[in-house]
Amino acid sequence: MRRHRGDRIIVAMALLLLFAGLIIIYAIGPMRANFLNAAYGGNISENHFFVRQLINVIISIVAFVLAYKIPYEKMRRWGKWILVLGVVLSVGLWLLAKVGSGLAKCELGACRWINIGSFGSLQPAEFLKLGLLMYLSQLAASRKAEGTINKSDFWLPVGVASIVSLFFVIVVQKDLGTGTVLIAIVLGTIFASGVELKKFALVLGLILVAGVGVIVTSPHRVERVRTFINGDGADTYHIENAMIAIGTGGLTGVGVGNSVQATGYLPESINDSVFAVMGETFGFIGLGLVVAVFVILLTRVMRVAELAADSEQRLVAVGVFSWIAVQMAVNIMAMTGLVPLTGITLPLLSYGGTSMMFVTIALGITFQLSCYTKREKEMKQAKFSNSHLKKRRLNENSRSRRR
Amino acid sequence: MNDKRLKFLKLMFYAVAAVILVRLFVIQIIQKNEWVAKAEAQHTMENTIKAKRGEIYMMDGSEPVAVVMNKQVYTIIVDPMIIDEDELKNVIFTDDMKDNLIVELSDVTADKSLRYMVVAKNVSREQAKKIEEKDPTGVWLKGMTKRVYPEGTLAARLLGFVNDDGEGQYGVEGSLDEELSGKDGLLKTIADVNHVALSIGNDNVKIPAEDGKNVVLSVDRNIQKNVEKIVAQKMQEFGKDQASALVMNPRNGEVLAMVNLPSYDPANYGNVDGAEVYTNRVTTDPYEPASVCKGFTFATAIDLGALNAQTTFYNNGYEMVDGWMIKNSTYGQSNILGVRTIQDAFNWSLNTGSMYALRAIGGDTTQINEKGRKILYDYFVNHFGLGQETGIELFEAKGLINDPIEGDGRDSMYANMTFGQNMMVTMIQVASGYASLINGGEYYTPTIVKGYMEDGVLVEKEAKGPVRRTVKEETSAQMREMLWGTRSAQRSYGVDRDGYYIGGKTGTAQVIRNGAYSMDEWVATYIGFGGRSGEMPQYLAMVRIWKDGETTGAEQYAMPVFNEISNYLIDYLKIRPGA
Repeated sequence: MRRHRGDRIIVAMALLLLFAGLIIIYAIGPMRANFLNAAYGGNISENHFFVRQLINVIISIVAFVLAYKIPYEKMRRWGKWILVLGVVLSVGLWLLAKVGSGLAKCELGACRWINIGSFGSLQPAEFLKLGLLMYLSQLAASRKAEGTINKSDFWLPVGVASIVSLFFVIVVQKDLGTGTVLIAIVLGTIFASGVELKKFALVLGLILVAGVGVIVTSPHRVERVRTFINGDGADTYHIENAMIAIGTGGLTGVGVGNSVQATGYLPESINDSVFAVMGETFGFIGLGLVVAVFVILLTRVMRVAELAADSEQRLVAVGVFSWIAVQMAVNIMAMTGLVPLTGITLPLLSYGGTSMMFVTIALGITFQLSCYTKREKEMKQAKFSNSHLKKRRLNENSRSRRR
Repeated sequence: MNDKRLKFLKLMFYAVAAVILVRLFVIQIIQKNEWVAKAEAQHTMENTIKAKRGEIYMMDGSEPVAVVMNKQVYTIIVDPMIIDEDELKNVIFTDDMKDNLIVELSDVTADKSLRYMVVAKNVSREQAKKIEEKDPTGVWLKGMTKRVYPEGTLAARLLGFVNDDGEGQYGVEGSLDEELSGKDGLLKTIADVNHVALSIGNDNVKIPAEDGKNVVLSVDRNIQKNVEKIVAQKMQEFGKDQASALVMNPRNGEVLAMVNLPSYDPANYGNVDGAEVYTNRVTTDPYEPASVCKGFTFATAIDLGALNAQTTFYNNGYEMVDGWMIKNSTYGQSNILGVRTIQDAFNWSLNTGSMYALRAIGGDTTQINEKGRKILYDYFVNHFGLGQETGIELFEAKGLINDPIEGDGRDSMYANMTFGQNMMVTMIQVASGYASLINGGEYYTPTIVKGYMEDGVLVEKEAKGPVRRTVKEETSAQMREMLWGTRSAQRSYGVDRDGYYIGGKTGTAQVIRNGAYSMDEWVATYIGFGGRSGEMPQYLAMVRIWKDGETTGAEQYAMPVFNEISNYLIDYLKIRPGA
């Protein structure tokens, strides 16, 4: 496939979101520092969070450029290993937490991060997201080509990879929010891969049953659901204050730096709740724009899938779409009281390095793939013409099977 | 391929985005005001700016001196989660602070999850400053004012105290609480979650506090102190446990001393056996002052021209009224029986004399009638202010003067009232009425407030002047003479120094116990005036002394107290003897 210019709207939208996030962190970072200092007697400087976020953004942009530059043909071989690394890190984190090592960063009994000194912390779940996405895309594309997409040849590895990943994220790390995103990546990918709808529905049903099982076997999750319905739990304060922030913003918002909710009323103001602070600051117009930017971004990501040169690339783009769409929706809907709070970041906007970097990597890959899309004209008459790609993939799969 | 599925995913996402947008519209546009109200309720911090409570002054001659002052003290609060143990040991848990600490250091470090703990109270400004300079982590100083009493127990029952809630209780602190406490200001700001005011928004409100007034009492600290001393000495000497005394300027109604003993320490007001000891009996405890009221009865009769000091009547030693035998206290002393003058009746405190006066007031010297009762009631209540609140700036009890018409046995009741029984009045009522009897007939509302200290200067309140005439000037002149005569005729004759014009009247009241007058429990009262011979009286003093269950005669117990007070006042007020 001949390389052409990539879809720059993807880049523009991603940069817009990163920039908006920076403005917000710039405005409320000092409040956050002040709040933490007052509550815990720390000595965090006023621009601490802004500087850190600026570094995060720069790292993320570098990651984006790398993901764009390194040929996908090369990167795709890493997918499996990223997934393996994610699992290894998860096991490592679990062991570190088990022995009570300071390297495991835990909050409220959930250990989800590995401390890496002055660089901050690393979230193994992010490796799982990217790894699972890449691995499943390849697997599904090749099984599709082999015609075994509806056989256990496909379902078994999918099931094992997914269940292992979900086990660590949901059960060990107690992170239902990230688990939801992982499920979205898995479901989005296999749905788009062309599996029989009946089988897909079965999987969906199994996940729902498992989901209910996961909730009812854990008292704290039952409690969370109960309090979400009754509106009287610990999360209620968080959601209530997120909605106070959003509601106070009105049509045009209170203006940059005038957020009162961010002075400590709203928990996690700079990370999970950043959408609410944006609502207070920029109002309905601002949030409408944020949602619009996400819609444009994801529409363009989906366009990459629609025009993808081959089914693997298509599934990668669908995975990225599912990832960002679900993570964004779950975050925003929690902030607006539509779904229970699960504690995940808003892609590209929230404070925090790992999450941002992995999303930009995913978008960087997508941007690269957008250089190889077919023209829409071609699409219309598109037949299965990528024979050389198909052939190569067959070889590869036969190799992997020999192992 | 599966374009339809991709389209389906995209449409699902659009649907979710649409739901989000609708939700945002609802929250931000439709429900905006609700959320703003919630935000305001949460963000708005209302701090009262405490008004400074006014101080209380007494006069020292012509200079006001503070007798109730404010002191800034601090409470120390720590946040056990973030404190530094060594720092706390060096800065707060020191020997210097021993008396203020209310917990041990180990209590603070025991539970690190706590965020708030009071560790010391009543810390002085100096100590607080030292701690503040070292700025220990997780330590706050909370300032508050405390009342201090440089004169200790002096006039405690007059001054009252301030309770832990900052409310004035009893005495001046109670009755002038509003004036003293001033008006708190309000600071309304948007604050962060730790209640630190933010500069965000411009709805901040600041209403400054209006500090309380510094009240200057007309009470003279020296007179108060010495009268308390005299009363206390006499109480001890006589073995009596309750006494009240009042010194007034009869020319303007100003109270110069108001004594109630025993006293208490207002700084430790909780250290008392009962609330009884807080009360200011002079204004809040109505009682039967007995024969001092003969002064009111005779003044009424003289004012009406019904009799004068030389008018004679037949003293039978008792009278029968409504079937009751009403006796003189001198009943049995046959030498007093027979034809006597009104002055004799005053001198020997003959109840038959005051009952005669009531008959004379009614225009029929053979029997008490309704006209007499009505006139006596009118004079007692409307002229002399008995059974009525006087209007002094203190809590007052009204007492009771019974209606002259309604009810049975009015004749015997009013017969009793002519000598001050069967009625309830306070000392301040009697003294204010008496002041008018001797000052030429003008009634002044008694007052205890001289003025206010403003910026260190006494600003006197406007003098009100007399509010009414109680008796004619000539009546008043006759009353002075009668009181002088009575005092002169009594056993204590000779105690008064030459060149001074001093008069007074005793009153020994039987006390009602179990619904009947007890024969062996009396309360002694003496009221008298003094001044330079040939001039209007300069002081009026009233003493009430008793002990429950004992007979306390006025001549024996109350009059000696008055004598000493009178002699002291002559010296203190530097009253030169007249011709």
